[in-house]
Amino acid sequence: MGKGRGYWVAKPSLTTVALDPSPFRAGLALALAAALATPSAAAVAPSLLRARLNADILSSDPGTRRDENTDAVLLHVVEGLVAVREDTSIGPLLASRWTVAPDGKTYVFQLRPGIVFHNGAPLTSADVVWSLNRYLDPKTRWRCLSDLSKGGLAEVTAVTAHGPLTVSISLDRPAPLFLKTLARADCGGTGILQRASVDPHGAWVAPIGTGPFRFAAWKRNQYIELRRFDRYQARPGPPDGNTGGKTAAVDTVRFLVIPDGSAARAALLRGELDVLDNLNPVELAALRGKSGVRIQSAPSDDLYALLLQTRDPLLRDPRFRRALAISLDTAALTRAITRGEGRPDSGPVPSPSPFYGPVESAPIRPDLAQARRLLTACGYRGQAIKLATNQRYPLMFDSAVVIQAMAKQAGINFEIETLDWATQLARYAAGDYQAMTFGYSARLDPSLTFASLIGDKAKDPRKVWDTPAARRLLDRSMAEADPVRRQAVFDDLTRAWRQDTPSVVLFNSGRITALRSTVSGYRSWPAQQQRLWGVAVN
Amino acid sequence: MRLRPNALIGGLLVGALLAVIALGLVWTPYDPIAIDLDHPLAPPSWRHWFGADEFGRDVLSRAMVGARISASVAAETVAVAIGAGTVIGLTAGFLRGWPDRALMMLNDAMLAFPSLLLALAVIAVLGASRNGIVLALTLAYIPSVTRVVRGAVLSIREREFIEASKVSGDSPLYTMARHVLPNALPPVLVLATGLFGWVVLSESALSFLGVGVPPPAPTWGNMLAASRPYMETAAWLSIAPGLCIAATLLGVNMLGDALRDWLDPRDAP
Amino acid sequence: MLPYLAKRLLLTIPTLGLVAVIVFVLIRLVPGDPAVVMLGEGADKASILALHRDLGLDRPFPVQFLVWVGHAVRGDLGTSIATGEPVAGLIVERFQLTAAIVLVAVGLATALAICGGLLAAWKRDTAWDLGVVGAATLLLSVPSFWLGLMLLMVFGLRLGWLPVVGYVPATENARLALLFLVLPIATLTLTESGVLTRMMRASAIDVLGLDYVTHARAKGLSELTVLRRHVFPNAFAPTLTLVGLTLGHLLGGIAVIETVFTLPGLGRLMVDAILARDYPVVQGCLLSTGLVYVLINLAVDLIYPLFDPRVAVA
Repeated sequence: MGKGRGYWVAKPSLTTVALDPSPFRAGLALALAAALATPSAAAVAPSLLRARLNADILSSDPGTRRDENTDAVLLHVVEGLVAVREDTSIGPLLASRWTVAPDGKTYVFQLRPGIVFHNGAPLTSADVVWSLNRYLDPKTRWRCLSDLSKGGLAEVTAVTAHGPLTVSISLDRPAPLFLKTLARADCGGTGILQRASVDPHGAWVAPIGTGPFRFAAWKRNQYIELRRFDRYQARPGPPDGNTGGKTAAVDTVRFLVIPDGSAARAALLRGELDVLDNLNPVELAALRGKSGVRIQSAPSDDLYALLLQTRDPLLRDPRFRRALAISLDTAALTRAITRGEGRPDSGPVPSPSPFYGPVESAPIRPDLAQARRLLTACGYRGQAIKLATNQRYPLMFDSAVVIQAMAKQAGINFEIETLDWATQLARYAAGDYQAMTFGYSARLDPSLTFASLIGDKAKDPRKVWDTPAARRLLDRSMAEADPVRRQAVFDDLTRAWRQDTPSVVLFNSGRITALRSTVSGYRSWPAQQQRLWGVAVN
Repeated sequence: MRLRPNALIGGLLVGALLAVIALGLVWTPYDPIAIDLDHPLAPPSWRHWFGADEFGRDVLSRAMVGARISASVAAETVAVAIGAGTVIGLTAGFLRGWPDRALMMLNDAMLAFPSLLLALAVIAVLGASRNGIVLALTLAYIPSVTRVVRGAVLSIREREFIEASKVSGDSPLYTMARHVLPNALPPVLVLATGLFGWVVLSESALSFLGVGVPPPAPTWGNMLAASRPYMETAAWLSIAPGLCIAATLLGVNMLGDALRDWLDPRDAP
Repeated sequence: MLPYLAKRLLLTIPTLGLVAVIVFVLIRLVPGDPAVVMLGEGADKASILALHRDLGLDRPFPVQFLVWVGHAVRGDLGTSIATGEPVAGLIVERFQLTAAIVLVAVGLATALAICGGLLAAWKRDTAWDLGVVGAATLLLSVPSFWLGLMLLMVFGLRLGWLPVVGYVPATENARLALLFLVLPIATLTLTESGVLTRMMRASAIDVLGLDYVTHARAKGLSELTVLRRHVFPNAFAPTLTLVGLTLGHLLGGIAVIETVFTLPGLGRLMVDAILARDYPVVQGCLLSTGLVYVLINLAVDLIYPLFDPRVAVA
């Protein structure tokens, strides 16, 4: 029982566990010897990089059954036509260049010649057509299908090959955010797959992509192993986001599934782990200054906020929401909760964004006296407000605790209601809350951030901001391609947000990564999780 | 009768706990939810006897309020579970026949769920709230009590004095109340003291898994669970709740032992 | 004996039926939608509804129940909503690990309890007694995750004797597998031995007060023989019941230990599934732990008369 069930494995190997300290050196040597005995092994021990996932990946099928971990792992294996650059703009990846028709509805991509898939098959336009059609098939259940069908950004009406290395994609209307959507991590980067990734009946087998690593083994709830792809064709030039310089610097990358934060920390200290990304700020204290460990961080494009239900009898009064906003010292809150690794924010545009200008960065100053005056004006007499939060995400929970204490100073009475994440998510989706602390994962563009906030509450109760002006501005930001004019739209949106205070933005967290000091070449990035190409272990 | 050291130490510990709970009702050194973001993780000092937590909240104040919540959750759970379990167990064990079979079938069905998971599922239904936890843990532990009581009753009813009581024409209810119940009490009391401990520990385990009495309510379990990331850097965070749990359970268990010795019917004429 | 066994086995069927109903109803009372959890915060309504259809969640509850029971009887527990794996295979795989840990730990704890409990009862009210009771009480006063983390910190991190995270199946490397299991087993053994020791002591004290022990002593038997032949067999029955209970409740309670030591066991599978509203996995796990529990109970009931001659097999 269990042979081959539950995991997809090339061949179980003896080197699957790393145990280095002295008493087990003999065992390790044995294991290595076994590995070396295989005919393909080189004369030197294969290099291994061990990284942590806080939960197993959901599938190996990019952009379908997915979560952040799944995206991060699979973006090492598959590549799309275009990808995100370091500065979150869009750059070429499998396509060397592209043109957009004057009407903005047709994109023509030229593929880079000489690229091969992990199974040795060359990349041609037929593979692109096949992959995109598979994504656009509702049966695939692609995460981004709704964005690229009717009612979304734009509908893809045709994907056509013109010769072996040319592909065109037609849309039903112009959509400046089309390429950004293709490059999104949660869309699996719209990774181009070889047909052998599915079986003759169309059922998923394993990803055969063009990335710097190939998918070698997946042992459920234990590890995922990626091996260097020797025939990988890196796009020339220096490393730049997901687009270029993606060369594997180790033979094997192993993502270990370690749900418990303390255990992961211990593993790093013990040297059983090389990269510990997405570190919870509370773990920082125990790692800072420890020998053999280095901390690296980058601001994140995510968004933590105190969501308010503007349909609540009490919270519908903008004066009350304003009072709430100025009763919070978000700078102190951010410092305490993120251990100095996050940045306080006052509007939906995240601080690392290129659109984070003078308007967006102006802080909201706490003013307890003014808050009390506003509260009196709207007749608040200390009624309890339920503040929903959860313990799965410590930043949300800690925010609730600090908000409760800070708001109490102004006379606002929050009652914290700690739910489990599934329940909170269900309440969020139904708009069934008075207030909740909530985090939005990183979006590649402020329009996408605003899009998750603005909308018709009657149709989509998740939306927190429902005014005609906001909706108009959002549509304009989506249709606008010129950065200067987009900046003006975002400025207007930000001002309107402050005026109306539909919710209170708290901060953008930091993406903290702890590394063994033997690791080199790791670069933190606001846009996404750990990237392990170009990372070496000495 | 002479006072056993068990009773003395147990009584002192439980008395101290009750005193702390009573004091916590009217006074704590600090507001247990007030934060002090400039002094997080302050080590124990004259200002903060047990130190301060990651939000600068006073650990002693929180442990005092926590005593009330943790102890009352455990006490209510134990009282209801023991009461209900004893009634069901006595009925089943004494009546035997089909009522026994029916009750035991339901009991076995309930017991078939590991208590922690049953509690977890019930909490997920009810939402995590103080009363939800009490109900969930009660439901989770009633079957164990029932089973132990029934086992004891089965064993007791084979003894000679039960037969004698029956032969002398006592009603079954009288036999049960006069002879079976007192004889079944010692194991139930040992179980009750053990149960109190299990409930306090279950509460901390649920907190550890993130579904205990909803924080920021300062139960001991919550405090212990929240102190985990700071085990190496701020060990004092776990000392206060840890001590509270250990001292309380030690006290209750010792009192239970003393009570058991005292109630043991074989020592009475 | 055989007819009795058959009767008991038949009696477990309605129990399991009840278990199935309770499981099914309970998990559906829980607020939260597996599709929403799976698709995450940005999912749109259409894809949630589509996923509902695919998972059969749009059908009426009784239909869902009958479909599930119909398949379960044939050993098909469905597939996990979150990962698409067959639930039955998942459970078998995880259960092997959990069963190994729980059985070994409870076995060790029982052995500890028998020795400690008998010693304490025999040397009642002496320093020995105080020591055993004190140690047992202390052990049952420490949260298991706390003890586990402490052991991890000391033996894994400070001393570096044992690995900190990970796990290899024994089929791949038995020696390594054993090393990974030392700490979890030690933790469970310690935390579970406390309550068992106290129960053993309490019932041994009862038995020591009975007439036949006095008779045995009067016959001039050595104290060790008295303890071994007369006290232990008669005092063990309540502890045995408790061992059965412990085995049952550990199938779920071990989730905490599995979390601390990052072991892919059944407990963690269930907790994760409850939190993710992965209905088929929760149902399958609860049903199979139910089955295991009923079997353990049956075994305890069958062994019970061997230790308590007062209860005859009816």
